[in-house]
Amino acid sequence: MTVDQFIQALLDEAQKEGILAAEVYLSSSDSFRAMCVKGQISNYTVHATRGLSLRGLYNGKMGYAATEAFDEEAVGQLVQAVKESAELTEDEDVQEIYQGDGEYPHVYNYNPALDQVAEQKKLQLIQDIEKKALALDERVTALNYNMISTSSGETRIVNRVVGADGKAHGLDLCYRDNMAVCYISATAKEGERVSTGSAFRVSRNFDEIDADQIAREAVEEALFMLRAAPVPSGAYRAIIDAKCMPDLLGVFAGVFSAESAQKGLSLLAGKEGEIIASEAVTLMDDPLLPGGLASQPFDAEGVATRTKAVIEKGKLTTLLHNLKTAKKAGVKTTGNAAKSGYAGAVNVSPSNFYLSPGEKSKEELLSQMGDGLVITEVSGLHAGANPISGDFSLIAQGYTVKDGKKDQPVEQITVAGNFYQLLKNVRAVGSDLTFPGSAIGSPSVDVGEISVAGK
Amino acid sequence: MLKQDVAQAVIAEALKTGGDFAEIFLEDRQNNNISMLSGRVESVNSRRLHGAGVRVFSGFQGVYVYTNDTSMNGLLDCAKRAASAIEGKAFYAPKDLVWTDVPNIHFIQESPDAVKSARKVAKMKEAQAVLNNEQEIVQGSISYMDSVQRVWIANSEGLFTTDTRVYTRMSVAAIASNGTENQTGSTSPGGMQGFEIFNARIDPEAMAKEAARQARTMLHAPMCPAGIMPVVIDNGFGGVIFHEACGHSLEATAVAVGNSEMCGKLGQKVAADCVTAIDDGTIPNEWGSLNIDDEGTPTTRLVLIENGILKNYMIDKLNARRMNMPITGSGRRQGYMFAPTSRMRNTYIAAGNDDNDEIIASMGDGLYAKKMGGGSVEPTTGKFNFAVGEGYLVKDGKIAHPVRGASLIGRGSEILLKIDRVGKDMQMAQGMCGSISGSIPTNVGQPMIRVSEMTVGGR
Repeated sequence: MTVDQFIQALLDEAQKEGILAAEVYLSSSDSFRAMCVKGQISNYTVHATRGLSLRGLYNGKMGYAATEAFDEEAVGQLVQAVKESAELTEDEDVQEIYQGDGEYPHVYNYNPALDQVAEQKKLQLIQDIEKKALALDERVTALNYNMISTSSGETRIVNRVVGADGKAHGLDLCYRDNMAVCYISATAKEGERVSTGSAFRVSRNFDEIDADQIAREAVEEALFMLRAAPVPSGAYRAIIDAKCMPDLLGVFAGVFSAESAQKGLSLLAGKEGEIIASEAVTLMDDPLLPGGLASQPFDAEGVATRTKAVIEKGKLTTLLHNLKTAKKAGVKTTGNAAKSGYAGAVNVSPSNFYLSPGEKSKEELLSQMGDGLVITEVSGLHAGANPISGDFSLIAQGYTVKDGKKDQPVEQITVAGNFYQLLKNVRAVGSDLTFPGSAIGSPSVDVGEISVAGK
Repeated sequence: MLKQDVAQAVIAEALKTGGDFAEIFLEDRQNNNISMLSGRVESVNSRRLHGAGVRVFSGFQGVYVYTNDTSMNGLLDCAKRAASAIEGKAFYAPKDLVWTDVPNIHFIQESPDAVKSARKVAKMKEAQAVLNNEQEIVQGSISYMDSVQRVWIANSEGLFTTDTRVYTRMSVAAIASNGTENQTGSTSPGGMQGFEIFNARIDPEAMAKEAARQARTMLHAPMCPAGIMPVVIDNGFGGVIFHEACGHSLEATAVAVGNSEMCGKLGQKVAADCVTAIDDGTIPNEWGSLNIDDEGTPTTRLVLIENGILKNYMIDKLNARRMNMPITGSGRRQGYMFAPTSRMRNTYIAAGNDDNDEIIASMGDGLYAKKMGGGSVEPTTGKFNFAVGEGYLVKDGKIAHPVRGASLIGRGSEILLKIDRVGKDMQMAQGMCGSISGSIPTNVGQPMIRVSEMTVGGR
């Protein structure tokens, strides 16, 4: 059975079984990944995969099932599983299969040239990176992580809705996207001290990934961190670096979802129109960002995407919606329907999500702060941050700032606070907008005072 | 399923360019997930995973290619793509495949893929009914999962075998609120068991009561003060400290490439004398147990640390070559989308001789971490971070009051040496462990332990 035959067979079977609105979501991808440690290529992985999920309205409820086996047996199994799923689901919210928008935006998220880069060239890059990193300083003992990956995929939505007149209408939408990711982490040793430094590149243009630059960036951080020590516990003036702020924003991105709000899992429920952050804060959701990692012409329900501010100068303008949450709230969907993998249920998720850059450079932020801390890395996010309460307590590293200048490296500290409070405390947002490896980005942010546990 | 002649042909193809080992792993897996929010079934999702991966070694190099196309042509294509990454001439002739029966040590009474979803939902509703009557609990989030994974493994050493892994688990989270603030409590027991797990191990009502108690306790707790202090960590999920701070550093994944602070320390003292730690895949029906690992090697019970002395690392086939040491049955992967590597199974600190009451009474001022949250570690430096799910401030050897927002940070090697008490009652708890070969079920465990001093993050 070809994929198209399988899709048609599924939609036919669903219609026959009384599922009068059904939709297939198909995701396929081809990817390459390799690492280079001690001159040896390792973790060389290639895959060509596809997965399909079927969802459909049966007696007014949405049912889901998914498969990676595309055979005749799977057709009947999948349709029956959708019916069982719909029968048990008690979600009262009205759901729909979308009939489509007249026009879809054009989005730059695919570069055909990237798919043509030879595997040998990708391996050469990580071999070069390792050589260059080790040659930079004798204290660099190894790259403990040195990875290149490329992926190229296709997302397709095909649906069929049978109207009251017995006529069937449907969508058949498709987009391709691809990207290359390079991530390295260097280890430095001096006596008994060990430290690491990392660097990340994401691009659709392979030649943009510069071995020299990425090696230098990771090594400089590792060497700088060799002398790192905790600072005494207390309250500090702090800037969260553009490398790090997106991680924090990512953990709490869910609070901007109308789905979370409607489920009582976000304290932003009902706060549209209110001031929830300082005037310096403008938060964008931009699925049309050229080259953005989450750029796409339509969302997971087939709705055309659009750019919007979620927070504008401190005011919460909108939460993020899909069709279901929008209907419930009596608003229009924001085109933020998403799925975690092809098999996931439709939920709500931001696209390219970032704090809008301000006027001041990072140097100016430091100079304005005078004395304090810059936090360059937080870890333990899945454990140390509570997306419901907004509380976080995270292991962190960075450096001290003295008289407006970078001073001593700092590690083994914990920074604690509350995300909602932090938004209100923002004094300034820098001009250095960065997307360090995901679709969530930020400039460096002066967050006022932050509580630090150290020595 | 994987046919013998197909497997033989794929292995031969994979070795054509000079590989010295080839393996095929085929998986067919049915996953069922149900989620319920505040008593309403939100989703019932079934997913059939189906695919295969071909792995080829050439010396220390490993190549992995996988696909969903498990036809003869699809698998041969996979083998060709894997072989194309190795540049040489064929020299290693694969052995003829010989069928090996795997003895099953995990008896399953009622396979969950044959149980109607309505029965699963009924178990979830038992828990919700209890939450409905718990004070200050405003919401319950309950999930159920089961998985039946069938694997077929064949390799150029002549191995050809199959195994079935059955998992059932339920999770209850309770959210307590006072109108402006929310706190959660949760519990998530599971096992390598079928639906019969509800006869003994999973009691939905008891789970709901426990989750509600935790959430309510934390709602009324002030923030934990920060500082350096003695810390007592209770049994069960408290074992996540060992899993994160030491377990990952003992995986060959980190050790073989010199990225672990435990490198070169076999036979040396790495922990206090009172610490013995074990990684055991052989315990019947436990969440992290196996019959064979994902390279087809029978699972084992491995002593990692004995009375403070480092005894063993966890080693998979590829890293065994790099380390020139034997494999330990520790090769694991989430599924066909991942090449296997050395991973933990049921990993715990063994029971000691100390009395729980004395452990707290003699600690002076400090933190008692009754329930741990998740955590992470950087293996190179051993730096770790754990959230404390339910913590209490101890003053002068007496439990004073609950505190929230606490986290424990430090380095694995330092903490292990600072353990000064090990209690008698070892308990295990279930978790999903994420690493380069994906997310796999593992147990963590320990009796109550005490660390003489630790950095506590708070506010």
